[in-house]
Amino acid sequence: MSVATPRSDSSTTGASADPVVEALKQHFGDQAIREQDTLTGLPVLWVAREALTDVIGFLRNMPQPFEMLFDLSALDERLRGQRHGLPDADFTVFYHLLSVSRNRDVMLKVALAEGDLALPSIVSLYPNANWYEREVWDMFGIDFRGHPHLARILMPPTWHGHPLRKDYPARATEFDPYTLTVEGQDKEQQALQFDPEAWGMRRGNDDTEFMFLNLGPNHPSAHGAFRIVLQLDGEEIVDCVPDIGYHHRGAEKMAERQSWHSFIPYTDRIDYTGGVMNNLPYILAAEKLAGIQVTSRAETIRVMMAELFRINSHLLFLGTYLQDLGAMTPVFFTFTDRQKAYEVIEAITGFRMHPAWYRIGGVAHDLPNGWDRLMQGFLDWMPKRLREYERVMMENAIVIERTRHIAAFNTKEALAWGVTGPNLRATGCDFDLRKQRPYSGYENFDFEIPLGANGDAFDRGQLRIDEMRQSLRIIQQCVDNMPAGDYKADHPLTTPPPRDKMLQHIETLITHFLQVSWGPVLKPNESLQMIEATKGINSYYLTSDGNTMSYRTRIRTPSFPHLQQIPMLMRGGFVPDLIAHLGSIDFVMADVDR
Amino acid sequence: MAYTLTRATDDAVAADNARYPLSERQRAEDPMKQQVHRNVFTGKLDEVLNSAVNWGRKNSLWPYNFGLSCCYVEMTTAFTAPHDIARFGAEVIRASPRQADFMVIAGTCFIKMAPVIQQLYDQMLEPKWVISMGSCANSGGMYDIYSVVQGVDKFLPVDVYIPGCPPRPEAFLQGLQLLQDSIQEERRPLSWVVGDQGVYRAEMPSQREKMREQRIQATELRTPDSV
Repeated sequence: MSVATPRSDSSTTGASADPVVEALKQHFGDQAIREQDTLTGLPVLWVAREALTDVIGFLRNMPQPFEMLFDLSALDERLRGQRHGLPDADFTVFYHLLSVSRNRDVMLKVALAEGDLALPSIVSLYPNANWYEREVWDMFGIDFRGHPHLARILMPPTWHGHPLRKDYPARATEFDPYTLTVEGQDKEQQALQFDPEAWGMRRGNDDTEFMFLNLGPNHPSAHGAFRIVLQLDGEEIVDCVPDIGYHHRGAEKMAERQSWHSFIPYTDRIDYTGGVMNNLPYILAAEKLAGIQVTSRAETIRVMMAELFRINSHLLFLGTYLQDLGAMTPVFFTFTDRQKAYEVIEAITGFRMHPAWYRIGGVAHDLPNGWDRLMQGFLDWMPKRLREYERVMMENAIVIERTRHIAAFNTKEALAWGVTGPNLRATGCDFDLRKQRPYSGYENFDFEIPLGANGDAFDRGQLRIDEMRQSLRIIQQCVDNMPAGDYKADHPLTTPPPRDKMLQHIETLITHFLQVSWGPVLKPNESLQMIEATKGINSYYLTSDGNTMSYRTRIRTPSFPHLQQIPMLMRGGFVPDLIAHLGSIDFVMADVDR
Repeated sequence: MAYTLTRATDDAVAADNARYPLSERQRAEDPMKQQVHRNVFTGKLDEVLNSAVNWGRKNSLWPYNFGLSCCYVEMTTAFTAPHDIARFGAEVIRASPRQADFMVIAGTCFIKMAPVIQQLYDQMLEPKWVISMGSCANSGGMYDIYSVVQGVDKFLPVDVYIPGCPPRPEAFLQGLQLLQDSIQEERRPLSWVVGDQGVYRAEMPSQREKMREQRIQATELRTPDSV
């Protein structure tokens, strides 16, 4: 699949110059498309509810189409103070579309009034809209007409209210303390019972009666609190229904009451194997809002640590992937390597899994003396291990037999389901944001993007070994060419602000004090940053209302669409294939439910 | 030593509005004392038997393969070669609650997940123990949010709390050893026909208080300027 060359104008501000916007205006008329000026770097267009399906259909079917529905969520506008020039709205639903062939995005927004919270569903245009629309219904109570099964997805079926509405309390301590009674236990367990009819499933056909097998929410192969109900004919999967929401920590709501700075530790825990990798999109989006340009040393340190966490996450993947295929030993080997990585991570950041080490405007502190020796030790250790994994595991006949042509999909299907990251590249699609839309100085590094060919469970495993090699290459370049200079930008909104400035006179001391106690105030605007995270594309879409806290933080995680795609792949497969596929997706539930 | 006495209540006879944890708890004196008063020789025998059984129990703890979030990664790290939990006889990880001796609540306890956790706990056979691993399971931690139960002890009886977000694998191993120490002191019926059928759990000293003296001795911390 061909992919457009990288854009040079990474911060597109003149949205009207965008050929897609021009085409839309030509087709629907100037009045139908209303542009909003933001810091997101992509055209943000308001369209009327009536025109929505046509506009999305137009973008979906134009030459070099927008193949992927990247994100879909909503915003409760009712308490937003700074809305100059925006259409009247109580709620806004936004659709973020991505075109791989154009390497461009477009965001559509629809204004809704409180009394009439309904929209046409776009499931027929983008199959992955299904879960996103269910999430918007669950979190905001917005109805999608024509949706095949608009039920709660993150909250339990017995839940009352829509948590991301501004009038819904955030804290658990604002509610009555949690108690579980015998009666309540029975009721909740009843509510979790799977009802095939509700999902339009038959209990049998003329010859056989189907068996419904409940896998999860606690199953050794489910990688956390994930449940999938299988409709089985013997060992063949007729259909299946993934059930998520057992790991919903309300991170998006949490962002609405944490300062810009104090939300950073929560990002670490989104993709909890990715560590500081998660800080990166949030920090970069916040820096866009603040207008901070970080030093090249800070950028390089960030890239180095992010890549180290990529290796760490991929090692965990490799161990558990092979364990799911029945190999007990690899997990002991890869965790030994992870321990070696943690020794470096701990020496540099002071923590293992969730260092929360990046700061708005830089990183928490400078690299310690002797870091390069430690890092070099890790870089020297890894290559022979990777070769060994390849030799022992990926060339193993059983592994090949279990994974070749299992749960395979092509690029077109991947894009239609919103699949990104290594799982997309395993289909042969060369789309890696580090190359296509370089951020944080990735354009300065020399590395390659490994690609698969078959898009099957084997390629997804092999690709990650190749990716680790490339990450080692990037880290080596960081070690060899670490720029000198400051680890933090000299900017008034950098958190924490530079201390030596504070010591000079009272005015800066007051500003420093307010910044440390309340946190920085960011100007009202919207910004968005996507990065190539460990599991796919992770993005943070921040809306500031000119406050010390975010008005809305939308976290788009890669694992959410990856799980949604499972039924499409598994129909007609066998139960062991499902286990092999679950192992090859590389997901963690916090990255799905947030 | 003072003890907390737990008498398990039968689930089938529990009233509908009864709250978990179902078992009744009360403070009690060491039941051994009565035995010793009755006969000094059988008293000694009882002690020997009790410690022998407890020694066996504490050194072959089979954990239930149960994980919720980030803490589970650190828990599994403790199972792998660099930390090697087999040194403490607790490496036989079981995928079925019916075969497991203890359950580690490793991660955030969600309101949607709580009934499932309760079900799995109920399926474990006595003797069984619970370790609460990490801030979320201990108290909700940094997630004071609508979807999270503020500590798993709102409905499960917890034996050991491990602080951290997430705790290091070493901290998990220490928690396991604390559980073992507590099991050594426990008084359980030696048989379903011998003696009192209650479970007497020893009140173990809080580590925070025990370590305080030593901790406040530290006045200077190492700077992060060098590795």
